[in-house]
Amino acid sequence: MRCVTARRRLSDEIDRALRPGRKSRLEAHLRACPACLAYGQRLSRIQAQGRLAGERAPEKWAAFERSLEARLDAVKPGGRHVLRPFAARPRWAWAAAAAMALIAVAAWHAFRQSGGSGVETWAAYDDIVNPLMAAAEADSDLAGRIDREVGAMIDEMAQAPDAEAVALPAADPLFWEGLSDDDLRAIISDLERETGKGGPA
Amino acid sequence: MDDRPEDRLVDEARRGGREAFAELVRRHERQVYGIALRMAGNPAEADDLAQEVFLTAWRSIGSFRGGSSFYTWVYRIAVNVSLTFLKKRAREKNRSPFDENLPVGAPSNGAVSGPEGASALNELAGRVSGAVAQLPAHFRAAFALVVDQGLSHAEAAKVLGCSEKTVSWRMHKARRLLQSRLRTYFEEARS
Repeated sequence: MRCVTARRRLSDEIDRALRPGRKSRLEAHLRACPACLAYGQRLSRIQAQGRLAGERAPEKWAAFERSLEARLDAVKPGGRHVLRPFAARPRWAWAAAAAMALIAVAAWHAFRQSGGSGVETWAAYDDIVNPLMAAAEADSDLAGRIDREVGAMIDEMAQAPDAEAVALPAADPLFWEGLSDDDLRAIISDLERETGKGGPA
Repeated sequence: MDDRPEDRLVDEARRGGREAFAELVRRHERQVYGIALRMAGNPAEADDLAQEVFLTAWRSIGSFRGGSSFYTWVYRIAVNVSLTFLKKRAREKNRSPFDENLPVGAPSNGAVSGPEGASALNELAGRVSGAVAQLPAHFRAAFALVVDQGLSHAEAAKVLGCSEKTVSWRMHKARRLLQSRLRTYFEEARS
């Protein structure tokens, strides 16, 4: 297990959200990794001190309830709909994020091809993705390997906790929450150009 | 305390029963206030927000179909009302446009450290509160639900309308940010 994975699972473990099989692998990692062990200990301290004490004196609650009662007198019960929080994410962000899976695979492929000399992912988007797609069209073995890589990434990052998350690999926040506006604009621009919906290139 | 089951209170409130609604308020006011306090960062504003949450709940009670728990629904309102408040506060202070991914509304030192903004019981608690107050709004909302209210990832996901995996990731990212912001303290404490 890599440290980055172990640290994410430490967070789940603190929230009692770690599956038993993963827990034993995490414990094995911690036995061999002092840095992650120390990270986990600091997380535990933060957790212990982080809980907010929301208690107030009883008279405060009584005053709160009296004030609320007075305000409720002026309001009629109704059926206004309650939206889910953070609902305003633009739809294109999901589509753009879906493209990230392809770019990540393409970057990985280019990295392998370059002998590990490094790839400037954003600057070289066309340089990375287009040759790979062209090569995949001519090489069914390569196309199959790309499919398997994308599938494996999706399996790893979007292990479908619910029906919503099944639909798109982009449902995984690792894809889209980490993207800057510039990243998203770059992807959108490419998608619009490829689909002919973005005006002249 | 009134021992009527919650679904019955909700039914009565939906039919305009103010007394039933008042009982629902009494059952959930502390948690709602806690979420508002974590999001707003100070007790006075948290008090106003908690009132606004219940006013909104009363206005919207007819739309509550019982598909989820009442607390899930009212916590969702609490997060929504808090976000609206944070946007408004950012506008009034003539800051850059509100971005849920950016830290918002950092309170004064120690303001969220305990009841009524009492100063921190110890240094780490105060520093943790300050660091949490600097978290982006969506991380802070997850933190308020999971850490302060003790919800599971599944429960918090229902409130936030996202997947459990998203809650898990937000908590991981929030903790990583907290670690980063508290690094100096931990290093000083070790030396």
